[in-house]
Amino acid sequence: MKLIDALEALKEDPESQSPVLDVHLACGFTPLHLLTFLNAHLRREFPSYKVLIRTGIFGDLLGYLERLERERPAVTVAVIEWADLDPRLGIRRLGGWETRQMFDITQNVRDQATKLSDSLERISGASLVALALPTLPFPPIAFTPGWQSSSFENEVREILAYLASRLARSCNIRVISLQRLDRISPPGSRFDVKSEISTGFPYKISHADALAGLLSRIIRDPLPKKGLITDLDDTLWKGILGEVNVEGIAWDLEHHALKHGLYQMLLTSLAETGILIGVASKNDPFLVEEAFRKAKLMLPRSRIFPIEVGWGPKSTSVSKVLRAWNVGAESVIFVDDNPLELAEVKAAHAEIECLRFPRDDDEAAYQFLETLRDLFGKHLVSPEDEIRLQSIEASQVIAEASQSDGRAPEHFLQKIAGRLTLSFSKNTRDPRPLELINKTNQFNLNGKRHTEVAWRDYLNDPEVFLLLASYEDKFGPLGKIAVMAGRHKGNKFLVEHWVMSCRAFSRCIEYGCLLHVFQKFGAEAGSFDFAPTSRNTPIQGFFAELMGAAPPAGFSISRQQLFDRCPPVYLEIQEHCDE
Amino acid sequence: MNDNRGRLTRCFSAVFPELNERRIASASPKTVAAWDSIATVTLVSVIEEQFGIGVEPDAFDRLVSFSSILSYVEELTASSH
Repeated sequence: MKLIDALEALKEDPESQSPVLDVHLACGFTPLHLLTFLNAHLRREFPSYKVLIRTGIFGDLLGYLERLERERPAVTVAVIEWADLDPRLGIRRLGGWETRQMFDITQNVRDQATKLSDSLERISGASLVALALPTLPFPPIAFTPGWQSSSFENEVREILAYLASRLARSCNIRVISLQRLDRISPPGSRFDVKSEISTGFPYKISHADALAGLLSRIIRDPLPKKGLITDLDDTLWKGILGEVNVEGIAWDLEHHALKHGLYQMLLTSLAETGILIGVASKNDPFLVEEAFRKAKLMLPRSRIFPIEVGWGPKSTSVSKVLRAWNVGAESVIFVDDNPLELAEVKAAHAEIECLRFPRDDDEAAYQFLETLRDLFGKHLVSPEDEIRLQSIEASQVIAEASQSDGRAPEHFLQKIAGRLTLSFSKNTRDPRPLELINKTNQFNLNGKRHTEVAWRDYLNDPEVFLLLASYEDKFGPLGKIAVMAGRHKGNKFLVEHWVMSCRAFSRCIEYGCLLHVFQKFGAEAGSFDFAPTSRNTPIQGFFAELMGAAPPAGFSISRQQLFDRCPPVYLEIQEHCDE
Repeated sequence: MNDNRGRLTRCFSAVFPELNERRIASASPKTVAAWDSIATVTLVSVIEEQFGIGVEPDAFDRLVSFSSILSYVEELTASSH
């Protein structure tokens, strides 16, 4: 983006009704064009918001951050440069670059880094923090020539690396990748000495644009895809299984097939973070099972579900995988080496993203791995991510036992020893409730989504309650699978969000949650901000059963109505107090 | 020449969105309340980007109106050809 484009983008006023995205930009220098670009990029990332960016007194980064600890803004953008760690690491203060000062500079950097880190952690208790650590070249202080790394510079960088490592583990702090920044803003073209001296703004315009773009993206944090469906021959491995048999397929250096091995390693890593991995292949099912059994693939069979193999169209196999996962095509990537197969799947599933496996190009194959990591990457891996595959497989067992009304038979539910744990804690550090609200389509009250910022604001409203439900039975834990949020006053409540993971269907968990809410609030009636969507048929069916008719948009039900219509609920329900 | 005027008008419009074309032509720090030191720096950066020129800090004193900036830009672009 050019500076003029950014300025012109800011001329367009968002609608006055738009919610405000309240952002504080904390940096030790005059923010100038960084402020302009950040504003323009945030508007692009959050088109339905009115972006409001505030800044502090320049030259006092730590002081401003300490003020933000009290103000608790929705979003804090912190941009740290060398001079914020010690003014002698900048060029605007003539503090001296003698060798004897280096020890003192290092000590000062260590102290300042600790204070900045502590302050950012305190801010992150109530605010989403996007952090950029120094991006400018290290000044020529040390006595070594520029092509030789000095112990002084390494020691300072080590302090920064420790700071980044500590903060990146925090739930509400996101540190931008300097490696990605290097790619889009070459390190040698970032420092604008003339501008630093004349105005106090140290960045070249192109660098300000690149940095603002990454900060905005890290604030928006796009939802990762949920699943990947892969082809086998010349994709997961090199070779056509039907022609070369199990002994002939390869994925290693020796057989010039390393890119397939790397792809398998990445898929295993994705599976470990809760990404679903399925197979759609035109192949002999017997041979494929033999390949997974005999060949020691980097991607074990246990990480894949389901494997759809046959001689029909790939799009049919993809449909079966989507059904088994119960996720929409828009959340899934399909990978194949054959453009014809990709086109056939795309024609049948317009929303699926189809990527060609670059089997003949090592450079492109490596970039492909990076693309996959970008599409599936997440800030933190939750306990639910770790058990997702296991719980989907368990759900298959229950779905197969289910009757025409979608519920498993009573005798089955009695035997599985279901335990529902409910928490009413409004813990803004737990990302799971918002993740469920933003990812769930089917059992979703109205399809309304929130940004992290809006969600935090919503939870801060004292009238708002939040119910988070976790479930486990003899097949294992499903983790946190349902969220209900709304307002409670007197003996009434209004539900504004209600979502439940499709993995938790057929167990009467929705009834268990509702019964408990009526009981907890001593409510005689509950209202629901219901709206039908093209995807929320399961919750429509639930309400239709409860009310005896299709639900209108926005309605109430009484306690008696619930008791009259509620099926037997074989769940041990307990409330968990963690406040 | 006219192209320079049009491009400079766009720069002014981006930095001072409240000004129409007629007011831009007569713009100076005296006639535009928003024309402060930050606006000058932003304006110079946009002009440098749009015209592919470098403005030396010493020249800032000359850049006191739309017409003086236009003359300066035309000098620089003519000398670079």
